[in-house]
Amino acid sequence: MAEQFLEPVVENVYTLNLGPQHPSTHGVLRVVLDLDGEFIVRTDPVIGYGHRGHEKMGENRLYKQFMPNTSRMDYLSGMLYNHGYVLAVEKLAGIEVPERAKYIRVICSELNRISSHLLWFGTYVMDLGGFTPFLYAFDDREQILDILDRVSGSRLTYSYCRFGGVCQDLDSVFIDMTRAFLKRLRSRWSDYENLVTKNIIFIHRTRDVGVISLEQARQFGVTGPNLRACGVAFDMRRAEPYEVYDRLDFEIPVGTKGDALDRYYVRMIEMEQSCRIIEQALDQLPGGAFLNPKVPDRLRPPKGDLYFGFESARGQTGYYIVSDGSTMPYRLHVRVPSFGNLHVLVEAFQGTLLADAISTMGSVDLVIPEIDR
Amino acid sequence: MGKVNDVLQRFRGMPEGGTIVKDDAYKAGIAFSMQVPAERLREVAAVLNEMECYLESMAALDFQDTFEIVYHFNCFEPRSRFALRVLCGHDEAVPTVSDIFKTAMWQEREVHEFFGIRFADNPDLRPLLLPEDTDEHPLRKTFGKVNAYRRREEIYG
Repeated sequence: MAEQFLEPVVENVYTLNLGPQHPSTHGVLRVVLDLDGEFIVRTDPVIGYGHRGHEKMGENRLYKQFMPNTSRMDYLSGMLYNHGYVLAVEKLAGIEVPERAKYIRVICSELNRISSHLLWFGTYVMDLGGFTPFLYAFDDREQILDILDRVSGSRLTYSYCRFGGVCQDLDSVFIDMTRAFLKRLRSRWSDYENLVTKNIIFIHRTRDVGVISLEQARQFGVTGPNLRACGVAFDMRRAEPYEVYDRLDFEIPVGTKGDALDRYYVRMIEMEQSCRIIEQALDQLPGGAFLNPKVPDRLRPPKGDLYFGFESARGQTGYYIVSDGSTMPYRLHVRVPSFGNLHVLVEAFQGTLLADAISTMGSVDLVIPEIDR
Repeated sequence: MGKVNDVLQRFRGMPEGGTIVKDDAYKAGIAFSMQVPAERLREVAAVLNEMECYLESMAALDFQDTFEIVYHFNCFEPRSRFALRVLCGHDEAVPTVSDIFKTAMWQEREVHEFFGIRFADNPDLRPLLLPEDTDEHPLRKTFGKVNAYRRREEIYG
């Protein structure tokens, strides 16, 4: 008789609009949920509130003019998006980059990755009801924003990279600030561990919650830390090494089960690995030019198409650029990681409690303007 | 480079498989690209699903003479991205792969709203990013400000 009660009662379904202004949706996302009691029976994410038409804009701009758009897609990892875009265009147009510039870009990108993960850490724990770690995380993140502000003049939308280098050289103050920051951040790991990682309430809210299997991840194109939590060590920095990543020693953390706790672990270890990358890059930082002065303002890449994949903070991102030999791209398509990371929730939410859905949604680290483009 | 070579071998042996362009130096970010006739797309996608590849990205292009849809696949191994190219006329439909790769459901919705390309048998073609009552296809080269509208051979020729 007990099974009778577990059958979903279709006629008693309650439809709930989660968002578009709900604080735990992290951006303007609406999720239409059909609930049977407290259990979710159907999920339909509604996106597009922040659609700005970046791809259309890209077709009507010089290659150089599209640069500010890139950091406005994913505003939490703007440096990484800038970096990927200049790499794609440099590969398409065959531009030489000085060694020093490559290291500078890697250092700034990894700093940006840590700041993005720190923000995720703070807001995720706040979604689960812990307010204090949020303040700690934002305190640490503020240091990174100051460091990046010093070289790029901006806190979030950097536009720091240029075709053939970066717009400003690093100085000794930047290097000292970065080294001091790494020391400070490492002294914080034990605080985070005691506050959150070992917290029994946190563990109960995340363990075995929102499990994404490897098969689901493949079907929905899930990448980045969410994929690595399923146990696949697939990272664009290793799989298709760009810049100087092949000269740097770092590990790719992986999980086992693909639940929210695994995703948490993977991101926390990734931050420590980014610290290692920055340290090695600072040690190896060569002298010389930071910008190739021969790059023309109006680039005319040869005809043809190119796909460039790189690892942003949320996963595998790609620029697909088709050039017709003129000064503007014929087509510019961006593959964004949050697209698949959100779509998989349609299955991951199935049959879970509404409260667990909030935990799951926070754990996949969505940035909605990136999906909307 | 293991799996991508298996995929390549598999397609080499297929009768009337499309033209394959190999790129050993990975210059355009792909190991090879293959032009697939629209009516064989589902067959090819089923093989790729069986070989555990994933659909990374799907981008459409508007040319004067035709639409082109570029499917980028990848398979969790270093340097293993490859592309399928499907051409379809401006008033033709493309078979859906949304029942083979689940991510294609949203990708096809996106291509459909921005280009007006119909995907036969896709059960859900509501607009994804645009408002639900929209009747324009903004990424077509006949909409809004357009820099150039070319024929396909002008770029790949």
